[in-house]
Amino acid sequence: MSKNFGKHITVFAGVVLILIWSLMPLYWGLVSSLTPAADMVNAEFHLVPTRVTFDNYEKLLSSTSISQGNIVNSVWPMFKQASINSLITSLAATVITVLLAAFGSYAFVRLRFPFRNVLFGLIVATMAIPAYTVMIPLYRFLAGLGLIDTYVGVTLVYVSSFLPLALWLMRSVYESMPLSLEEAAWMDGASRMYTLVRIVLPLAAPGLIATAILTFLNAWGQFMIPLTFSPTLNTKPLTVLITEFVSRNYMDYGLMNAAGMLAIIPPLLVVVFLNRYLVSGLMAGSAK
Amino acid sequence: MLNRSMSGRQRKSKQSEAQLGLLLALPIALVMILLVFFPVCVTMWDSLHRVDPMRSGTPFIGLQHYWELFEDQSVRTAAFNTSAYVLFTVVLETTFGVLVALLLDYINVGRKWLLGIIILPWALPPIVNALIWLWIYNPNNGVLNNFLLSSGLIDERHIWMNDRSTALILISLVHVWRMMPLTAVIILAALQSIPKELYEAADLDGASIWRKFKNITLPLISGALAIALTQSTLFAFNLFDEAWVLSGASQDTRTVLIQVYMSAFQDMHFSYGMALSVVVMFVSLSVSLFYVLKIYRETRFD
Repeated sequence: MSKNFGKHITVFAGVVLILIWSLMPLYWGLVSSLTPAADMVNAEFHLVPTRVTFDNYEKLLSSTSISQGNIVNSVWPMFKQASINSLITSLAATVITVLLAAFGSYAFVRLRFPFRNVLFGLIVATMAIPAYTVMIPLYRFLAGLGLIDTYVGVTLVYVSSFLPLALWLMRSVYESMPLSLEEAAWMDGASRMYTLVRIVLPLAAPGLIATAILTFLNAWGQFMIPLTFSPTLNTKPLTVLITEFVSRNYMDYGLMNAAGMLAIIPPLLVVVFLNRYLVSGLMAGSAK
Repeated sequence: MLNRSMSGRQRKSKQSEAQLGLLLALPIALVMILLVFFPVCVTMWDSLHRVDPMRSGTPFIGLQHYWELFEDQSVRTAAFNTSAYVLFTVVLETTFGVLVALLLDYINVGRKWLLGIIILPWALPPIVNALIWLWIYNPNNGVLNNFLLSSGLIDERHIWMNDRSTALILISLVHVWRMMPLTAVIILAALQSIPKELYEAADLDGASIWRKFKNITLPLISGALAIALTQSTLFAFNLFDEAWVLSGASQDTRTVLIQVYMSAFQDMHFSYGMALSVVVMFVSLSVSLFYVLKIYRETRFD
């Protein structure tokens, strides 16, 4: 009885510690985004903020805002454009990557063709290559095509860097599917393509969703790639814009944290609503 | 399954299989060749030349850049910092990742929700994570100083990033906060595939918790552990965002990737930065290969 009790206490303490460790930094980010500028220099420790303001969010989300008593232009146009850029490039990269991986991975698993294993091995190996190894030649190549600071250019770079992981995940999905279903369809005279589209892909849906989630999260959080390939607001994403609040005159921590809190909404929604697929994807990615 | 008389048809279907396979793999091959393989080859080729926008011509200089890298004090410092990050983060992520996974495997109520909360830091943009911690570590009125002062653990405000070893540890912590969930999930997957009967049998023999962990759990999660170690080593080796946000280009905390960025894009020594990035690539690849071969051997002897 007492041994069980001790066990329960240990487990409970462990859970509490994990919750604090995982959520406390986010809580501080939220608190500082809601703290009035005057209180930001307050050096006292408060677990709960004494005063709450939405000034920072107003600066980000409304057309004008009040700064030191004056009506000034807010950062909303920039913030809006960067949010749109983040969404467009992340979604485009996700759709293209998942499509390519859905069909390509099937070929790598089920169809025999020349150079199959060499190609797959080389592609997977690129996961270990740091982005900076390809950055300069890639920049020159895309600049030659006039694709720097365009949605097409940034999306292409995203696809090339997230495709290996997507292929890897989809391979383990297809490998775990029984061949008998496909064979039955072939026996009935269905073509390979018909079988893939009408039978295999629907069954692989959870795996496709997991792959899409991981790709989207990777693209949404990207910093190094757009730092180089998105120099202006034409394609500049939130991640790059937020860091620019740092260098403007002084560090506006409240504004930065407010922008950060808004930028984490899409990943937050994914974790809350698609957690099941996310976890299965992470687990599948680690299986052999 | 197919008899000899069908071999002609079989050959034909094999041919169409190869055609379809090539067709489906072609777009992928194209993207990877144009945007990854080709640039990698160019980088390796250019690293043997002097490519410098400030100086005319691109003469072939052989391995000169690579020899210079070994002599370069900044590169050595960056390599030391990266080694420190790898050591700190891999040890912390693995230790706490395994503990968290054991805890998650043990509890039955609300596991799904706890898992979601644990994964959260990993799912967020690394840049946002780093900015939150930048505020926490702020020397003037950051939460860390405020908390430690008000609880009497320190007497004066610390400028955390001024002390090199403190800075290395604090930056590592931010990275651990983001990456530990991945280790926990990988280990949890392995834990859940261990048959519970093994533990029941050990209980009958009166085995202690530690003995059960050492003799049942550890051997059965060794494959997953190797994978977790690979990814945490690689991610730590490629650390950039956290160190960049928390202390910029500071020599004390600069990683090898920041060094690549500084050489190539700040000092504009393109091919010198490229040479360093090639070294980083080969070290990354050999680390992965080492683990992959180890896992391969382990699974083969099973």
